[in-house]
Amino acid sequence: MIRNTHPTLPEFEYIRPQSVGEACDFLTRHAADARPFLGGTDVFVRMRDGVLNPKYLVDVKALPGMQEIRFDPQSGLTIGAAVNMNRVIAAAETREHYPLLADACRSVASYQLRSRATVVGNICNASPAGDTLGACLAFNGVLHIQSSQGVRQELLSNFFRGPGKTTLQTGEIAAALFLPLPHAGSQGVYIKLGRNKLSDLSLVGVTALGYPDPGAPSGYRFRLILASVAPTPLIAKQAEDCLAAQPVTPASIQEAARLASEACAPIDDVRGSARYRKQMVKNLSARALTSVWEKLNRRGQNDISSD
Amino acid sequence: MNEPHNKVSISPVGENKPRIDAREKVTGAAIFADDLQFGSALLHARIKRSPHPHALIKKVDVSKARALPGVKAVVTGEDFPGYIGLYLQDRYIFCRDRVRYIGDPVAGVAAISEEIAHQAVELIEVEYEVLPPVLDPEFGASAQAPLLHPDLAKYVVANFIFPEGGTNISNHFKIRKGNVEEAWGQCAAVIERKYHVPHIQHVPIEPHVATARVDETGEITLWGSSQSPFAQRNLIAQSMGISQSKMRVIAPFVGGGFGCKAGVSMEALAVAIASQVKGRPVKLLLTREEEFYTAFVRQGLTAYFKIGCDEKGRLLAMENKFYWDGGAYTEYGVNITRASGYSSSGPYEVPNIKTDSYCVYTNHPVGGPMRGFGMPEMHAGLEQCIDELAHAIGMDAVEFRRRNCLKTGSVLVTGSQMHPTGLPQCIEKAAEAIGWGWKAAPSAPNKRRGKGLALMWKAPAMPPNAGSSAWVELAEDGSVSVGVGGQDIGQGVFTVAAQMAAAALGVPYESVRVATPVDTRYSPYEWQTVASRLTWSMGNAIVNAARDARQQILKTVSEAWEESPNDLDIVNGVVISFKTEREIPLKNLVIYGLPKPDGQGWRGGPVVGRGSFMPTYVTGLDAETGQGERAVVHYTTGAQAVELEIDLETGRIEILKGVSAFDVGKAINPELVKAQMEGGFVQGMSSALFESLQLRNGAVQNPSFVDYRIATAVDAPKDLQAYIIEVPQDDGPWGARGIGEHSMVPTIPAIANAIYDAVGVRLDGPPFTAEKVYLAMVDAGIIQ
Repeated sequence: MIRNTHPTLPEFEYIRPQSVGEACDFLTRHAADARPFLGGTDVFVRMRDGVLNPKYLVDVKALPGMQEIRFDPQSGLTIGAAVNMNRVIAAAETREHYPLLADACRSVASYQLRSRATVVGNICNASPAGDTLGACLAFNGVLHIQSSQGVRQELLSNFFRGPGKTTLQTGEIAAALFLPLPHAGSQGVYIKLGRNKLSDLSLVGVTALGYPDPGAPSGYRFRLILASVAPTPLIAKQAEDCLAAQPVTPASIQEAARLASEACAPIDDVRGSARYRKQMVKNLSARALTSVWEKLNRRGQNDISSD
Repeated sequence: MNEPHNKVSISPVGENKPRIDAREKVTGAAIFADDLQFGSALLHARIKRSPHPHALIKKVDVSKARALPGVKAVVTGEDFPGYIGLYLQDRYIFCRDRVRYIGDPVAGVAAISEEIAHQAVELIEVEYEVLPPVLDPEFGASAQAPLLHPDLAKYVVANFIFPEGGTNISNHFKIRKGNVEEAWGQCAAVIERKYHVPHIQHVPIEPHVATARVDETGEITLWGSSQSPFAQRNLIAQSMGISQSKMRVIAPFVGGGFGCKAGVSMEALAVAIASQVKGRPVKLLLTREEEFYTAFVRQGLTAYFKIGCDEKGRLLAMENKFYWDGGAYTEYGVNITRASGYSSSGPYEVPNIKTDSYCVYTNHPVGGPMRGFGMPEMHAGLEQCIDELAHAIGMDAVEFRRRNCLKTGSVLVTGSQMHPTGLPQCIEKAAEAIGWGWKAAPSAPNKRRGKGLALMWKAPAMPPNAGSSAWVELAEDGSVSVGVGGQDIGQGVFTVAAQMAAAALGVPYESVRVATPVDTRYSPYEWQTVASRLTWSMGNAIVNAARDARQQILKTVSEAWEESPNDLDIVNGVVISFKTEREIPLKNLVIYGLPKPDGQGWRGGPVVGRGSFMPTYVTGLDAETGQGERAVVHYTTGAQAVELEIDLETGRIEILKGVSAFDVGKAINPELVKAQMEGGFVQGMSSALFESLQLRNGAVQNPSFVDYRIATAVDAPKDLQAYIIEVPQDDGPWGARGIGEHSMVPTIPAIANAIYDAVGVRLDGPPFTAEKVYLAMVDAGIIQ
């Protein structure tokens, strides 16, 4: 069935609270018909499509700290919820310490959209196709969530509950994303397979991160997170374990890629078939892990030569 | 026929003059239909559409919608009994008894805001009796299919369209030439294939928009984004039962057409609604979703080819069957069926050929004209069969095409002879530019490279007597205004119009302006901006108008100077005499004329040249054989070649290089011609790799750019080359013929042939998505 989309945005009331307390209070009082929003790149589209019909849109971008991006060399990076993706990409700290996140952001939509879209918004939207979710999970991201009760911290790995579903409760506002300092020597890759080169949603997305770990039998640990092949971003645990347990070789990378492909449960939809997606998880996981492995080795050599 | 050579060659024709509309468009000053302001009287329209692909309308209750505050009018099919359609009048403005596709308009609302109109539409209650739909053209053509247009036999139809009453076949075009059955026995190789080409959309940046106002006396004004203001005047006036003189269409700049803004589609809805709120302008702007499933789509095609050649590679026979998925109404699509029929040999000389081209009603979106008018769809399969046939007898595919392609004087599928053509030169140029026969190593071990080439031909598909007219008027300073009824839809025709007027009259390009926007009240008649016909047809009219003006000027001056007009010329805006070397600038003389000596009065006066053009030589074709003296005005021919690389791990195709070579007769503006070749290549490539309206039970599953992907600049090959071949057309201005559509005709098969060259698989139809290519490679055992 064709949905009779609104010709323009349906009417709504725009609320711009000045304090977190005011915002949380409003959202609690109007639980059924109020929604917080950041860039609006998902909310507006869904309102026009008639999927969402909030009476109030609560603009939380002006709340204290929401526009801040702050790096602490001792602990890590804090990205305010309202920091748009172009700012994340441009920030020197992201580029130096979390280049994987910058790469993931760069793959989202277009430059124009990235001037509105935010990483925290991408997370709260909780689409399995969300391009930045993998990087944030790989870096063990933690969401700072505010409510009238105060601030709670939620590990991203606990946050996603299904397409569009998270642990965020009514009256809560995701205020910032915290990414702990990456492990020394980390190297990452995000491979996005879209139907064409620019601005597509990911048919399959593969985030891979690796770093040396003397505690692991192989001497390395890897993170492998898959987009668009399960109801939530999928952490391919068996694949990660496989490469920690045995020496990293082309064969063990293939084995890890196979495990990743087995772990995922993609669906057939208008963008692609489950059969193709499963195969792509295998091929692109292998490609991503190989690329990370090459970077790790190159990095090692560089370190030696520069020492 | 028309060879307007100036005696002194400082003509702007053949030069890369800057686009006449560039500054306006680049600065954002250009006015498009949605920019027009109508003040507070403006009402907004929205349409109640059918949710069913096929159903009878039992009851329409608009009472709640009418009662909504802010609603000014609600109309239904009851109010408008007239049929409408270009070649076959098979459509009501609003459905009256039956809906035939998801999106079919059932009722319309005018309200003080778009949102109120939207709400009112939601309040309209329609009771349907759902009927089984036809979702496949082959099934639709069968006796088992439910009948979608029981009144087909009664519809008004053009005399070259052959509907079969009592069936869903709204046109059956036949070719019976030679004896196919006897020929198969002489063939050394025969290829039989089936292809499916899906529906696609034109996706102009600017969606359809129309604003209509009907005044107290019933006179209608329509402002719209339109390729066809005159056809809209004619067809809407007919359907509403009024005189064409009471219908005025004003058409500002068009933000992309590609065919979907030809003929009449949603414009009639705006007019019909406006007729119920006299004096108030009513605006209808399609949403992008509506653009996808309610505007014209490119018809789907299921095509069967059987093609054979002898051991020397000489094409002997072809048997083609085309089932066009015409959709709910085929008022325009019937002629696509005809065009593909009379072109069904492809650009080859084939002695024995049998073709059946069927236009079939289905419960899919309405098929209509799109850049190429059936040719990209038909060539998609045909040009792959040619490759396969060449391979089957062990001949190089380019050599095979060299031997069989149309040359000047070749006998055509309809029995007439080919006019002078540069197709052989196009093949050579494309093959040379792509480095045919030489294969570079892939850029990575997991990639494979391939090259492919394909040819095309296409004639303007139109009624035999589609006409053009123009006027040329001069102002006090000698500047020139050219009136035309054709539309610049981005192809640059206004620029070309100015170049031709300047050259034919003898003034600098810079002093010519085109009188826009096109307004049927003031602009001269033009059939439609379609069929790549304007440079040729409207061009001839402009040349005739300029010549008329020129004769008026030279007559005045020759009388004043007492010289023969044959000794005079207009060069660079100045009348000169070769004999006496006298000269006089055009300024002033073209308005005030020239004084006679000694105050004895004046001669001349304001100069207005008029010209028209209509082909008079196109004959009918026999309904049973498709044979006739001259089926069309001319054919533009050409070749494209591509080099691509396929990623074995994803199936993803990267087009590395694209080469186009077309015989345009004469390039009036070579850069614009090349831009058409490049743009057409990219659009063809986009349709080859990405585009498909995904239909399920008649519903478009991907009615937005989220899931209807089109090529962007980064998908286009970095190396895109365009070559102009010029073998003049006898009745074209300076020898010119069209190029607007042709450049997207051979792209699908060129890419398909290159895919085969790279990895050895053939797919049954576009789009050649990464997924399809990958899975085909898996299924063929090429990869694991």
